[in-house]
Amino acid sequence: MTAAAAAPGNGDLVLRLRGIHKSFGTNHVLRGIDLSVGQGQHVVIFGPSGSGKSTLLRTANLLEQPDSGSVWFDGKEYGPGIPGAGGEDPPRGKPRDLRQQVGMVFQQFNLFPHITALENVALALRRVKGAKRAEAELEAASYLDQVGLLDKIGAYPSQLSGGQQQRVAIARSLVMEPKIMMFDEPTSALDPELVGEVLGVMRTLAESGMTMVVVTHEMGFAREAGDVNIFMDEGVIVEQGGREIYSHAREPRTQAFLDAIL
Amino acid sequence: MTAMALAQAVFRPEFIWDNRHIFVGGVKWTLVISLVSFVLAAVLGLVVALLRMSPSPIIGPIVAAYINLFRAIPLLVFVLFVYYGIAIQFNLTITAIQAGILTLTVQYSAWLGEIFRSGIQAVPDGQRQAALSVGMGRAQAFFRVTLPQAARIVIPPTGNMFIGMIKDSSLVYLIGVEELLRVSYVLANRTFRYFEVYMATVLVYLILTTGVYFLVKYIERRFALVDLLVSKTRSPFARRKAARLRRLQESLSGGGSAPSGPSV
Ligand SMILES: Nc1ncnc2c1ncn2[C@@H]1O[C@H](COP(=O)(O)OP(=O)(O)OP(=O)(O)O)[C@@H](O)[C@H]1O
Ligand SMILES: [Mg+2]
Repeated sequence: MTAAAAAPGNGDLVLRLRGIHKSFGTNHVLRGIDLSVGQGQHVVIFGPSGSGKSTLLRTANLLEQPDSGSVWFDGKEYGPGIPGAGGEDPPRGKPRDLRQQVGMVFQQFNLFPHITALENVALALRRVKGAKRAEAELEAASYLDQVGLLDKIGAYPSQLSGGQQQRVAIARSLVMEPKIMMFDEPTSALDPELVGEVLGVMRTLAESGMTMVVVTHEMGFAREAGDVNIFMDEGVIVEQGGREIYSHAREPRTQAFLDAIL
Repeated sequence: MTAMALAQAVFRPEFIWDNRHIFVGGVKWTLVISLVSFVLAAVLGLVVALLRMSPSPIIGPIVAAYINLFRAIPLLVFVLFVYYGIAIQFNLTITAIQAGILTLTVQYSAWLGEIFRSGIQAVPDGQRQAALSVGMGRAQAFFRVTLPQAARIVIPPTGNMFIGMIKDSSLVYLIGVEELLRVSYVLANRTFRYFEVYMATVLVYLILTTGVYFLVKYIERRFALVDLLVSKTRSPFARRKAARLRRLQESLSGGGSAPSGPSV
């Protein structure tokens, strides 16, 4: 690794956001977010609707360009940077390179409805990594097998339950072998009886050591997997802590929110 | 003489059969002009749709003006203007057929552009985001994910436009293109068998447009996102694909050596 890669002062760091601001028109959604994610860490983010959780993940994945602030990922710098900040700059990366290595799972699954589960998972292998069809499909099928859907590889998304669709979506991200996986309320669009199968896959993934950032209100999962737990409100990180946050929140706002959802 | 005698005779349907080569020749040009204009209009329409959605403060409005302008001119007026007003007046070396195709293409690109744009915008943005999130580029996301879905959405209105094209192609008869209406017009005026000739013309247009209607229905069903299994398992292509999937399933479930990957 180069000196630049070690610049944030922590060799284990995978992703670091600094001073992220994002507005939509006059709506100032992210108001200075700083967040560091270490190798193998599981970061859980929760907070009220509209507090900017989805926007934060989309910005970290550069699906939205931040108005200011920097996204540091795996030795490279993305985003417009911090006004007035000097010092040596790490090499700048292309958003597409970052997205290839950052998996994203959406609340609404966002599977491609016009192709099969297998093709959903194989698509990026073929078009981004340039794999031949046979190898891409074999690889994709093995990932679908790992999320328990080997028997559904030929199904179209509309023929799958919500839980199955979300598991395909997870396989679609995992097949790119990302360095970090981000989940945006992956179970909140699911019928209650389907939540478990998706959380099961996420638990196994967490145990395997995958670095994860998870926006969720599934407090069972959060207590169990959350190494770093973040309460967000109105575009800022109000409180950040270990598992004790769920029993002894420091901030009254955090406590009020937890009381309301538990 | 003969023409007068013919005109006085009663309804003679066999007259049409005797002149079938004339109708066949006309239908051929009607189809050529419709198809060529439609394909060109679809390609141009896609470009129009994409430019119309451009975030640039200049390109979007210019293309919007193009769309509104060409949708506002009556096609007949436009045909006459392009052929007589421009081509003949300024001695351009373009044939009537070329002028007709040009006119139809331009006008239909405006209509199709708007149809394609609404189809593209009907695909949820989450689809594009998901494609980008697995590392696909913008163009790949558009052509592999957004466009195939938009295409399914626009099949019915696009089919209607093609039916409209077949009907509108009759307007180029005025600049002398020997398509179905032109040959009918000439034949009727020469023989005075107006009823038989125009009756046949109506029927032929009806057959063409109805044929296209059922073709569009078929395409719509073939590519529908629901009932895919029913409509897709019949083709040999689908059977080969199903066989490939079975082999994949067997190779992985048979306890054989699975390829590497995190054990999830
Ligand atoms: N693409 C966009 N364009 C305009 N406004 C947006 C966009 N995306 C988000 N917003 C606005 O930003 C604010 C934060 O939205 P965001 O989706 O990030 O919140 P959230 O914390 O994920 O909420 P939820 O729990 O409901 O998912 C909202 O006011 C929303 O309307
Ligand atoms: Mg959200």
